[in-house]
Amino acid sequence: MEISAYSPFWLIVVFYLLSGIWEVGRLLRPQGFSKQWADRLPFVAFGLHSLFLLYLASRVENIPVTNLFESVVFLTWCVVAVFNGVEYLYGVPSLGAFLFPLVTVLGFWVLSLGDNLLSAPSNLSKFWLIAHTIPLFMGYAALTLTFVLSLMYLTQQRQLKHKFFGPLLLGLPSLESLDRLMWKTLSFGFPLLTLGLVFGIFWVKYSNILGPQWYMDPKVVMGTVTWLVYAALLHLRIGVTMHGSRVALLNIAGFTLVLFTFLGTFFLGAQHGYKKVSKEDTMIIKGIKE
Amino acid sequence: MNILVVGLNHKSASVEIREQLAFSPSRVTEALDRFRRCFPSSEVVILSTCNRVELYACSPKTSSEFTEEAIFDFLAGFHGIEKARFRENMYVYQDLAAVNHLFFVASSLDSMVLGESQIVGQVKEAYATACSQGATGKVFHQLFQQALNAAKEVHTHSKIAQGKVSISSVAAEFAEKIFQDFSDKTVFIIGAGEMAELVLKSLVEQGVRAVMVSNRSYDRAVALANEYGGKAVRFDSLEEELARADIVISSTAAPHYVLHPEHIKGAMQRRKGTPMFLIDIAVPRDINPEVGKIENVYLYNIDDLQGVVSQNVGERTREVEKCRAMVEEEVEEFMAWMEEMKIVPAIARLRHHFHHVGKEELERLRPKLGNLSEESWQEVVYTMERTLNKLLHRPLEVGKEEAKNGGGYRYVETIKKLFGIGHHQDSSPENR
Repeated sequence: MEISAYSPFWLIVVFYLLSGIWEVGRLLRPQGFSKQWADRLPFVAFGLHSLFLLYLASRVENIPVTNLFESVVFLTWCVVAVFNGVEYLYGVPSLGAFLFPLVTVLGFWVLSLGDNLLSAPSNLSKFWLIAHTIPLFMGYAALTLTFVLSLMYLTQQRQLKHKFFGPLLLGLPSLESLDRLMWKTLSFGFPLLTLGLVFGIFWVKYSNILGPQWYMDPKVVMGTVTWLVYAALLHLRIGVTMHGSRVALLNIAGFTLVLFTFLGTFFLGAQHGYKKVSKEDTMIIKGIKE
Repeated sequence: MNILVVGLNHKSASVEIREQLAFSPSRVTEALDRFRRCFPSSEVVILSTCNRVELYACSPKTSSEFTEEAIFDFLAGFHGIEKARFRENMYVYQDLAAVNHLFFVASSLDSMVLGESQIVGQVKEAYATACSQGATGKVFHQLFQQALNAAKEVHTHSKIAQGKVSISSVAAEFAEKIFQDFSDKTVFIIGAGEMAELVLKSLVEQGVRAVMVSNRSYDRAVALANEYGGKAVRFDSLEEELARADIVISSTAAPHYVLHPEHIKGAMQRRKGTPMFLIDIAVPRDINPEVGKIENVYLYNIDDLQGVVSQNVGERTREVEKCRAMVEEEVEEFMAWMEEMKIVPAIARLRHHFHHVGKEELERLRPKLGNLSEESWQEVVYTMERTLNKLLHRPLEVGKEEAKNGGGYRYVETIKKLFGIGHHQDSSPENR
């Protein structure tokens, strides 16, 4: 993929950065940052992001996950989409102040890789790719929200324990509502995660793309570990009705695994996920496509 | 016009005097009527709250009976008390000072609790009552609307009304940051004191329904529990009930700790870690501070809450200067309007004078022109009017400008001299 495709994403990430600055500003100094801009900036960012995603999809004539850059664009889009859903349904104060910085960091990170081209194998079946990645990405997005909510929970808990009566305490939602939302996003994300993994197993069995030793693939292993952690978390939450900081901490641990599974495993040079591709390869792939 | 306010408030008079001069809602209308009978040309509004009784009146400057003494007599007569009893507690402000005072009152800068929101409603109501009795006129409509506007400006553009400034509301605010839905929460009162009840009240306002009360004197517990539809708990079975409480308010007179870490740890185990909010408003404290270290337990004592109250009061006080400036801007706007009101009749007469002269000249001209077509004549009339309006334009603009800068009176005098108008048919109070 050419460098030029990065440029629109720079703009989008800058908009997310501004959204983040604005939301954090509103949280810490409500008087200094107008609500209008706090509403508009994310709206513009997400609008541009959606258009860009459609453009990428039309370019590859598939869901845009053919390389790491596209995947991050898609994942961050899913995260903001789930965020919009949560905002619409529950109107969580200050959620954006925690979420947009995260999206911004992810965006800048993938942009910083520059032309360090990482591509997925090009000969993937469209059907299985959709069945495997869409639930997984949406699941990851929901779990990202769980993670962000956990951070908010721990922050608010700290304010309350230490009796810091300031804008942070007043701006953040109550512990109870954060706890409930953590639970809701988790129980939304987990089934999707499961579904994505199950489709993945069918896929690998059906087309044998990862070879006979598929279960030794780092991404498969990590995905399973992540799934187990969240399964345990859900079990604890349902069975023992565990509340509060421990759930929040476990959520954070789970999310680190998600991040590692999603982004980290490519460092292991596995076939699954993304590999370094030379310019010539890209040309060949493009040539085949055209 | 002459605006006068006569009144007393929590700073100038004790509650004994305030209650004697207070007007109950039903008597306000009676008082307004009676006042208007005494001073028929006046406008009047009576503001009576638990912290202040104020009578705002406005009348043409020349009505000689309209003095502060006359208003004292009216108040004394109406309430049937001697003037000497409240004479020295009264403050009297006139014109600019009176306007300033009203704007400060409405913006809650003169309130006992700075920035409280009730007073705006009370001023609004006092004004509405006077309106419905026909006791207000052009000046008071403008005055009170501008005062309410000032209050709105101050409340929206400053932090004067921000932050809770009572122990009970601060406690409720913390509770709001722990719990989302109060309808399924249980409050446990240990030691039924006055402060505990205040905190309970603000929690009930949040939606708490289940209340438990425990007290050394069981009867008192039962009494308070009944009041809130709750359940009285014997002091010795306090520990068993503790696990059911989401919020505990403790205010016993015990000289030692009543709740220890092991009590709360036990309760938390049975609650499966569901958060607990403990408010210790007793001095000496009832709850061992070690309790605050238990996971998912949030313990606040009276100093923690008082600290927040002081912090918020401090923040409000720091806003006063800013609010003062905002109010002064509104006052200036009103005073400019008053000045403009002074020149309005003079301007009308000036305009009338010009057009009158023009009309006379046209009447003189008409026969001299012979059989002029109606169309051409209309053109002449139109040209005359246009000329006059052009000539008037600048004097009128200057008049408005002068009025804004407080030179309305001088302006009126000048145009009277220049054009010889307004000496006989003048109805403006300044010109009599």
